[in-house]
Amino acid sequence: MDIIASLGLGFSVALDPINIFYCFIGVLLGTLVGVLPGIGPTATIAMLLPITFSLSPATALIMLAGIYYGAQYGGSTTAILINLPGESSSAVTAIDGYQMARKGRAGPALATAALGSFFAGTVGTLLLAFFAPPLARAALNFGAPEYFALIVLGLLVSIALAHGSILKALAMIVLGLLLGMVGQDIYTGQPRFTLGIRELYSGLNFVSLAVGVFGVAEILRNLENEKGRDVMVKTVKNLWLSKDDFKRIAAPVVRGTALGSVLGILPGGGHILASFASYSAEKRLSKTPGEFGHGAIEGVAGPESANNAAAQTSFIPLMTLGIPAHPVMALMVGAFILQGITPGPNVINDQPALFWGIIASMWIGNVLLVLLNLPLIGLWVKMLSIPYRALFPAIVLFACIGCFSINQNIYDVFAIGFFGVVGYVLIRFGCEPAPLLLGFVLGPLLEEHLRRAMIISRGDPMVFIERPISATLLALALLAVIIAVLPSIRRKRKEVFVEED
Amino acid sequence: MVSNFSTKDLVSGGIFVAAGAYFAIEALNYETGTAFRMGPGFMPLLLGSVLVVLGLGIAASGWKKPDAEKPLSPPWRAMALIIGVIVFFGLTIRGLGFVPVVLIGSFAAAMASRLNSPLFSIILAVALTVMCTLIFVVGLGMSVPMFGPWLGQ
Amino acid sequence: MNKTMLSLAAGLMLAGASMTGTAMAQDYPTKPVTVVVPFSAGGPTDTVARLVAEVMSDDLGQQVVIQNVGGAGGTLGAGQVAVAPNDGYTLLLHHIGMSTAPTLYRSLPYDPATDFAPIGLITSVPMTLVARKDFEPSTLPELVAYIKANGENVTYAHAGIGSASQLCGMLLMNALDTQMTTVPYQGSGPAMTDIIGGQIDMICDQTTNTTSQIQAGEVKAYGVTTLTRLGNLPDLPTTKEGGLDLEIGVWHGLYAPAGTDAAIISRLEAALQKALTDETVVSRFAELGTLPVTAEEATPAALTQTLASQTELWRAVIEAAGVYAD
Repeated sequence: MDIIASLGLGFSVALDPINIFYCFIGVLLGTLVGVLPGIGPTATIAMLLPITFSLSPATALIMLAGIYYGAQYGGSTTAILINLPGESSSAVTAIDGYQMARKGRAGPALATAALGSFFAGTVGTLLLAFFAPPLARAALNFGAPEYFALIVLGLLVSIALAHGSILKALAMIVLGLLLGMVGQDIYTGQPRFTLGIRELYSGLNFVSLAVGVFGVAEILRNLENEKGRDVMVKTVKNLWLSKDDFKRIAAPVVRGTALGSVLGILPGGGHILASFASYSAEKRLSKTPGEFGHGAIEGVAGPESANNAAAQTSFIPLMTLGIPAHPVMALMVGAFILQGITPGPNVINDQPALFWGIIASMWIGNVLLVLLNLPLIGLWVKMLSIPYRALFPAIVLFACIGCFSINQNIYDVFAIGFFGVVGYVLIRFGCEPAPLLLGFVLGPLLEEHLRRAMIISRGDPMVFIERPISATLLALALLAVIIAVLPSIRRKRKEVFVEED
Repeated sequence: MVSNFSTKDLVSGGIFVAAGAYFAIEALNYETGTAFRMGPGFMPLLLGSVLVVLGLGIAASGWKKPDAEKPLSPPWRAMALIIGVIVFFGLTIRGLGFVPVVLIGSFAAAMASRLNSPLFSIILAVALTVMCTLIFVVGLGMSVPMFGPWLGQ
Repeated sequence: MNKTMLSLAAGLMLAGASMTGTAMAQDYPTKPVTVVVPFSAGGPTDTVARLVAEVMSDDLGQQVVIQNVGGAGGTLGAGQVAVAPNDGYTLLLHHIGMSTAPTLYRSLPYDPATDFAPIGLITSVPMTLVARKDFEPSTLPELVAYIKANGENVTYAHAGIGSASQLCGMLLMNALDTQMTTVPYQGSGPAMTDIIGGQIDMICDQTTNTTSQIQAGEVKAYGVTTLTRLGNLPDLPTTKEGGLDLEIGVWHGLYAPAGTDAAIISRLEAALQKALTDETVVSRFAELGTLPVTAEEATPAALTQTLASQTELWRAVIEAAGVYAD
């Protein structure tokens, strides 16, 4: 087929030394801003837009795309090292990644993230190259009822995120869903729970919430009892993965990639679910689910791969239909237009060099990222030898600066403090923050799609069962609940017989 | 306090009940709407009520399971300093500008640890200010004045 | 913070303001100028702003920096500029929403008419009536008849409270005297996705979002809301040709805070007019299906007049529709 010729054309563009250079700049910047909490790819791309005026369209877009997927790589670093996730995807990585770091296994955790991401990025790029148009078409079958069903499934499956009380995890999810509803109702414009503050009309900021309940709460916990325990393990055992580690991450990486690739294509918010879904799947499939939450390497491998696969495939609706799947993609639309190209179904035919050049550059970018990130692991791990008492003030300041820089909104900064205290209190009393974040990102989507589905069906709830995709997803959700309940019943029976194990 | 209860479950359950009640009661001010056009109050009312029930369940689940470990006292000084720094940052970043806010903020944050002497905190604050200014203002071109209008700039 | 330092700072500020007032206006600009765009980066308004800002930078000899302050339907960013220092270094680039906000938001913390010094109009982006590919009617008269016959069974997507697509929908329903079922989305992207996917019937949206989809045949197009046909969609009739009285354009304007020195305003006006004749700006605008306004319209007088008349127009339409954003 002429796909080989197309890819050839793409690589001839992507391998142009200038484009390689800007691709490298892009992924390097992406990694750096991914590492810094708060300043995410959105802010960076927005800041760099003026610079791209002077570049050719292909070069500019290659660099901007590099920032986006580079940030997905970098985002896991701070999550693992200092429990400071900058995005919803790395919030999941923080659960087990940070525990690995505390056990002196920051090196293997970072290496797993990098290798998993590379594999996922490669697969995602291949999908983009070979199947983009049909995949984008398939994704269009997802309407409001399907998204609602998908989110319900995601929420129910994700109860596995908890490693303690299921009741508390459920309560945290619901609290998250409610917090996600703060702000102006998109259907009526009614401001909800805004306390009359206009800055809250657009809702609470995810980064503030994540930085608060993960980062600041963790600092407060560490400062509780400074003399008693050392908060960071200084002896780092090894930087690289052992043979056993490789064996353990192989399957989760493949599964995470598959899951992430599928979810990333859905423009209505599928990518958000990717890392959460992968984590839940790995925990369910694991023979030792008890390890999760205490430094299971599978809990890093799966979600990181899923997240990067989704990042890559979320370009599919944009490149083939001109539909942005999330704010970063919307920004890319702007970047296209500034370059004089209106993204849409015709780009693939009208601008083949650009289209295939960007795709080819993504794979090159992924190679560059792995080459860039593996040597950096040693450096990052060394950072952990900075005494904690010098590290935590930097974390606090980075968090404030990062959150402020997103929207120049000071309430985003106040929110860090508020959720720092709330997070600290809740964690102190045995609740975990990850389900809260999941609820928070899915809450607005859940409500939006439910209400939209009901409007379009004119108030008939049967729409969820009559449409085949939505019915299947809801059936799966029901199955998930049954499976979740069964083992606890079985375990209870087992406990009676085998007390020892 | 009832010694037969888990304090952890009782307190966290209480927080959930309070939060759920707030959202549910506040949601009563918004329209609930119909099945066709659900109002802005519908979901918060439903979820707020669910949260209240879950909170009660959590509190009840602590029955006859008193906490094994002794509760640690919260780090009041660290909490006050760190939250104070965050609030200070928000209140003054536009007025004082980047450099003074980061300098004062990182000094105060460093003082949250009892292991840090004032001298060490000052050194750390200066180092952090230089680093942050280089990364965010110079490097990333963050649009915040280095010295704000309150300082006559 | 100690007291003496604060009062010292305040004193310096006052002295600086009173002494250098006139000198400042003549040398303007001596540092980068910030243009606040009250929407997120990458959107249609942001794109317009960036194209114009780039060229204005060259003329002013200082960088013109775009700052996106999204939220609350554009009122957050506008509110910030309303209270910003009126030294010409903080400007606002806003669209039609400037004229609808006073009616949509009953508790608006600023007054668009008195809190700003208009600099000039920039462009007016046309809107297009489009529907899913397999939607029954195929011409504008058929569409009008279909909507009148099916009323609330027709689903109309819009990009959120106060968005251009919602405003156009209100006008359309006013013109036809028929109610459709309106379905709000979070921005144009998701709305367009559901139109292309056939989940929802129709939308009236800016050419910025629809042109490429119309050209590719992903959506059915019925008409454009301008008086003349568009250069890049020559086959698309105007609404007037199709017998529908629906004229709307998403006009954009540039503003400074009220009380800004007249010399600064005219300096900015000149820079804006120059930018609007720039080759890149004209050609990029054309690709978006729009044209820069003439030099006579890129003036404070024209913008003041447009803002006033549009505010009146939309007050009537919005009050009739009974839609509010708070």
